[in-house]
Amino acid sequence: MLKFLAGSVAALAILAGGAVANAQTLKMWGPEQIAEPLVAELWNGIKADFEKANPGVTVEFMPPTGTISNGAVQAAIQSDAGPDVILTNSGIGRITIVRNAKQVMPLTEQYEKRGWKDQIYPWLYTELKGQFGGEIYEVPDGLDALGIWYHKDVFAAAGWEVPDTWKGFETLLAAIEAKGLQPIAIGPRTTGSAGHLFGNLLQSASGKETIGQALRKEIAWDDPKVATGAVRLQKLIEAGFIKKEMAGLDLDGASRLWFNKRAAMFVAGPWFTANARKAGYDLANAGYAPMPSDLPGEAIPTGGVGWSWLVPVNSKQPDLAMKWIDFMLSDAVMKKRAQAPASTMIYPRELKGIEPSTPVLREIFAAAAGGVGYNPSVYLPATVLDTYFQMIQGLISGQVTGAAGMQQMQAKMAEAK
Amino acid sequence: MSTHHREWPVVLGLAPVMLLILAPFAWLVVSSLKTEAEIGQADPYAWPADLMWRNYQDAWQIGGFGELVGNSLLNLAGVVLLSLLTCAPAGYALAKIRFPGREWLFYIFILGLTIPVQAIVIPLYQVLFGLNLVNTLSGIVLAQVSSGIPFGIFLMRSFFMSVPDELVEAAKIDGASHLQILTKVLLPISTPAIQALVIISALSTWNDFFLPLIVLISPEVQTLPLGLVRFASTYASEYRLVFSGTVISFLPIIILYILMQRRFTEGLTQGAIKG
Amino acid sequence: MTPALVLYAIFSLLPIAATFWLSFNSSAGFNTASAFVGLHNYQATAADPIVWQSLWHTFLWLIYHVVLAGGLGLALALAISRLKVTQVFFRTAFFLPHLVSLAVVGVIWANIYDPFYGLLNTGLTELGLGAFTQGWLSDPALVLFSVNVASSWQGFGLYMLLFIAGLQSIDRALYDAAEVDGASSWQKLVHVTLPGLREVTTFVVSLAMINGLKGFATVFVMTNGGPFYQSELITTYIYRLAFQSQDHGRAAVLCILLSLLAIAVTIAFNRWRTRLSR
Repeated sequence: MLKFLAGSVAALAILAGGAVANAQTLKMWGPEQIAEPLVAELWNGIKADFEKANPGVTVEFMPPTGTISNGAVQAAIQSDAGPDVILTNSGIGRITIVRNAKQVMPLTEQYEKRGWKDQIYPWLYTELKGQFGGEIYEVPDGLDALGIWYHKDVFAAAGWEVPDTWKGFETLLAAIEAKGLQPIAIGPRTTGSAGHLFGNLLQSASGKETIGQALRKEIAWDDPKVATGAVRLQKLIEAGFIKKEMAGLDLDGASRLWFNKRAAMFVAGPWFTANARKAGYDLANAGYAPMPSDLPGEAIPTGGVGWSWLVPVNSKQPDLAMKWIDFMLSDAVMKKRAQAPASTMIYPRELKGIEPSTPVLREIFAAAAGGVGYNPSVYLPATVLDTYFQMIQGLISGQVTGAAGMQQMQAKMAEAK
Repeated sequence: MSTHHREWPVVLGLAPVMLLILAPFAWLVVSSLKTEAEIGQADPYAWPADLMWRNYQDAWQIGGFGELVGNSLLNLAGVVLLSLLTCAPAGYALAKIRFPGREWLFYIFILGLTIPVQAIVIPLYQVLFGLNLVNTLSGIVLAQVSSGIPFGIFLMRSFFMSVPDELVEAAKIDGASHLQILTKVLLPISTPAIQALVIISALSTWNDFFLPLIVLISPEVQTLPLGLVRFASTYASEYRLVFSGTVISFLPIIILYILMQRRFTEGLTQGAIKG
Repeated sequence: MTPALVLYAIFSLLPIAATFWLSFNSSAGFNTASAFVGLHNYQATAADPIVWQSLWHTFLWLIYHVVLAGGLGLALALAISRLKVTQVFFRTAFFLPHLVSLAVVGVIWANIYDPFYGLLNTGLTELGLGAFTQGWLSDPALVLFSVNVASSWQGFGLYMLLFIAGLQSIDRALYDAAEVDGASSWQKLVHVTLPGLREVTTFVVSLAMINGLKGFATVFVMTNGGPFYQSELITTYIYRLAFQSQDHGRAAVLCILLSLLAIAVTIAFNRWRTRLSR
């Protein structure tokens, strides 16, 4: 009897082992908003295609509890019950945190071996190559392009247009204010959101080249050439064009003002279509324009790598994770995503002949076609990020001046390695 | 007589205070029954045109509140049971058994009573990680029981100390073991202390946010407060869901409290003063 | 005895000891090797202005909590303790906020304080009191207080119950004697009630201070320490350093500081209490 029992247990174990060897699960951290019907439809389709191409494999989505900025990704990796492959908000500051904590694998070799190198914009590859002395830890999934969102109907009715000069912009803000609308809404409690507007202002005042130098520490942040954007923000606050009360809002609290048309403008990227859709905003009414600049050719969106794929060091399916990334970079998947109504970003390589289904995305793609400026939030070193975001909150709540804020930034930048 | 006479003026004076203190609840419940557009009108005194009970259905489904409530209850049951099982014997030993090092041990427990859990969180996380308990309900239960142990032991000890030694001595002469003394003699007369321990550990577990925030990563193991905060930040652009979800997260315990308020009140005051 | 001690040793005593060890080491995260750095973390902490700011905020936070939650608890206890018919009703109603988890309180009050849609500002405007609207969570002079109001709204119920219990234990004969002497209600309050509550008061104050020191959830949910660190507490700064920036050494120094504060509060109040009972 005992022998029989032992025998059957052993048999069961072998069976179970065999089953495990065949059936593999790939746990993917992401995508955000999977509970949204449109997002779910798109991703369940992608999942089904991948499972069909790889028999025995099951893809499991882990709804993200946050990003690297609030520690959620680190906690998930650390827990070991965590994901095998991760899709999350990236940028060098965030990647530095998980790289320094030795939580993610270097992927440099795969770029050569699997040809990823040729599947993203060349300038993007060069940029990634330059960040950690040649090592690359992420595969870009989507790029951001931040600019001004406005209501077409409100602007048409009042005869407003996003102007070409900063002076004109200030006049527009005053006109909107006189109509009893909030000129610009911002929710700096969501740190990224604080950086969206601020990055736009820096780009508009100083231009791409100068901001790039500041990020590479070739020019000081408190140099007037860089600090003008911060001083402009201070003036907008003082004039009441951006209300101090907004320092206590988060992204959703602020975007609610825009969706309800109590605010005329909002600085955001293509991902804002997802928020708008959830809030029931008619996307056909959304217009997009880069922040006006007095410098020739500098009225461009800001951005950088918005989302990336990461492979945790303790991924239980590293090979499968690489295959998944191959799959995500394939033409079929990328085109499918770009054409889906749930599409919310710019893809990491040029997709010829693809028309996004949401009209405002067409405007965004057109504005970004000539390249984008820097969104410092995704380029600043991790140790400086906190100071950067808090300084913007300080500016909006009227606690620091633009000049003083940039001095603090410079002090922190000088410390950073 | 005279006190009865004076009751109505006090009641009249207290009514507006109560209204003010409970206003957040009223506002939440009314808002949770509005449409998104009605919430967008930002008029707190407006009544919804149609009561949107659908908001609750949607929030329950999208937020997975069934699972969250279940996890919170499991978490609570685990902590309450384990606290009783560990604190009662330890309280007994510290109160009624003489052994070397008793005082010393007592002070070690005092230490734990004062140090907040936030102050030991990094190594605590490493310990849980080493034991493979991160992202599990058992991990959070063990950590919470441990941080509640000093208080529980104090409570049980001070209650047992108030029991006359003669009772224990008599049982000993009858040949009862320590375990028998505890279960047969002391526990049956300890209802107030047990009630206090149950209610205090249950309430603090139900409300805990810090440890779950650090330990419970996947949505399927999260407890209500953490789940609600995650839900509120993910669905923040749909305020009807945020409001109804919030109501869902505190309704069960408020109903339970109203049903059992006398025991609740006794347990809390007893426990806090004794401990 | 043993199960309690084992659990306690693993999940409390060991971490306490390890926190000290961590504070002398540098580490960039849970997976990385650490190195002994002596007092470096302590020096870095002392040189960090945000540490001093968060320490000051924590101090203010304690005071606010004791005054707001303790004060309201005492006032309501005095008001309802002599009620006969409606006492249970009021006690139950006033206790309701205490049942809401602090994190949920944060979600609720963040919405109450929303400058454009929240109960407070819209309610004031509708009543014609638009001049009193504030940026509750954005005004640097107000934010810590606003968040504390939310915490105290949740906290006062327990203190009220304790004060009621304290009032019930005051000897009725003292009131009768005072009445015979012709004392007014005010005189009875000052000469009988408040002295009779002395012990409960020290207890409530110490409890409120310890609860204040542990304050985390409301700040984390409502402001995450902002704007510009104006509501940063020691606890939220520990979380920021340990779990967002992965700087465990400096976080450990703050952990030790927090423990010392808690121990100091406890010892001070125990002294005070023993002196009172003497």
